[in-house]
Amino acid sequence: MIRPIGGVTLAALAAGLVMALGVAPREVTQGNVQRIMYLHVPSVWVAYLAFAVVLVGSIAYLGRRSEAADRVAHASAEVGVLFTGLTIATGSIWGKPTWGTWWTWDARLTSVSILFVMYLGYLLLRGMIEDRERGARYAAVVGIVAAFNIPLVHFSVYWWRTLHQPPSLMKPGPGTMPEVIVAALLVNFAAFSLLYVYFVARRVRLLRREAEAVG
Amino acid sequence: MADNWGFVLAAYGLAAVVLLSYLRFLARGERTQTHRARSRVSEPLAPTSGHPRSKPASRPPLQ
Amino acid sequence: MLTFARRTFIVVWKDLLVERRSKETLNALFFFALLLLFVFQFAVGPDRERLAGTLPGLLWLAFILSGLLGLGRTFVVERENDCWEALLLAPGDKSAIYIGKLAGNLLLMLVVEAILVVLFGFFFNLDLGAVLPALAVVIGLGTVAFAAVGTLFAAMTAQVRARELLFPVLLLPVQAPVLLATVKATEAVLLGEPLGSVAHWLKLLAAADVVYVAVGVLTFDFVLEG
Repeated sequence: MIRPIGGVTLAALAAGLVMALGVAPREVTQGNVQRIMYLHVPSVWVAYLAFAVVLVGSIAYLGRRSEAADRVAHASAEVGVLFTGLTIATGSIWGKPTWGTWWTWDARLTSVSILFVMYLGYLLLRGMIEDRERGARYAAVVGIVAAFNIPLVHFSVYWWRTLHQPPSLMKPGPGTMPEVIVAALLVNFAAFSLLYVYFVARRVRLLRREAEAVG
Repeated sequence: MADNWGFVLAAYGLAAVVLLSYLRFLARGERTQTHRARSRVSEPLAPTSGHPRSKPASRPPLQ
Repeated sequence: MLTFARRTFIVVWKDLLVERRSKETLNALFFFALLLLFVFQFAVGPDRERLAGTLPGLLWLAFILSGLLGLGRTFVVERENDCWEALLLAPGDKSAIYIGKLAGNLLLMLVVEAILVVLFGFFFNLDLGAVLPALAVVIGLGTVAFAAVGTLFAAMTAQVRARELLFPVLLLPVQAPVLLATVKATEAVLLGEPLGSVAHWLKLLAAADVVYVAVGVLTFDFVLEG
């Protein structure tokens, strides 16, 4: 099951790459640097998807004590942190030529950074508890708190940035983007989503084997 | 200024490195699990007694 | 409902009695707050303008650092005195314990914060009389949020090795939005602006309070299981 998903994922990623670097046109104001968007935006999307799954898995675990739900939550948090890190890194690399600085406290980068450290803490907690059952229980609680915190993070950071500051340059309005760019973005969305599923599936399988090995 | 391909390639390169590293992490973990499973099968599960072992032909073949 | 309230009250009363007899936490926190003031002054320097600009941030930094110390210990007392098992075996809804602990921690933090506000006013020569009620509102809302998540996480990390490290690592990222809100609101209040001007921040804090306490009440049972 996992291998065919991997195959499709690879194909989708290749297609996405071609679209992003070749088919999509050179952007008018920012130049070719804007192509990083085809990495950055899908990464953010996958990160949020991953953390939503963590929430569902955490609630499912506390409600039904399903080990499978716990494994999915764990795997999803790992992949989520991965893509969050990628979002921050690509955002930073995009920012340097665009704004002249590696780091800026704009709304998206700030929010994503907070998410990054929140879920990194989740993984740290899991790593530091030897008892598997307690680790799963505590991680589930943290996963729930973190998820409910996300809207609070968004609002607070957005107000923090925009109330006395001009809004970020980087927001391409969906209505104003040419079709080719939207198409390229969608292909990459699909590719990254498939990659998420592939990673999580494989990680869950590994977690299950590790659990079975310990007995 | 307008054609910062270096940055684009850096970003894509970084993404590739990160994702491939995770793939490697998964592969390594799976290899470890397979090794463990294999070594468990080849070892006898219970400690043998002091009795002499039976002849090879009479034993069931290894799965 | 009544037994819930009674159980909550018993928890708070027990903690207050323990604290009144030993006074160890409050004394240590008071001393710590004093030291923070020195450290901040040395870190920021004698320039009054720069100090005035960073004051709201410094104040909340002081609250958070003291809070981390105080909250981090809230369940350690139970563990040290072998009361942990008694806590786990207590019949009925464990969330009464959560609310009780939360109330106790809230009280402790508010006392320390009040002391810090007085000390800040003294050392940095601020005239806080007129803004005190507004400041109290902001501090109250922010502290409830901090204590709500802090109590929950403290119960978790009490049983983990490297608890002193894990507790702040878990708590601080979650508190980021609260910190943004409180510092911005405090900034406005200290400048003499009316609370209405920061209504959105206050609403955010109130929402955070509700969410955190609700999650705490609903999940505390799972934390205290073993």
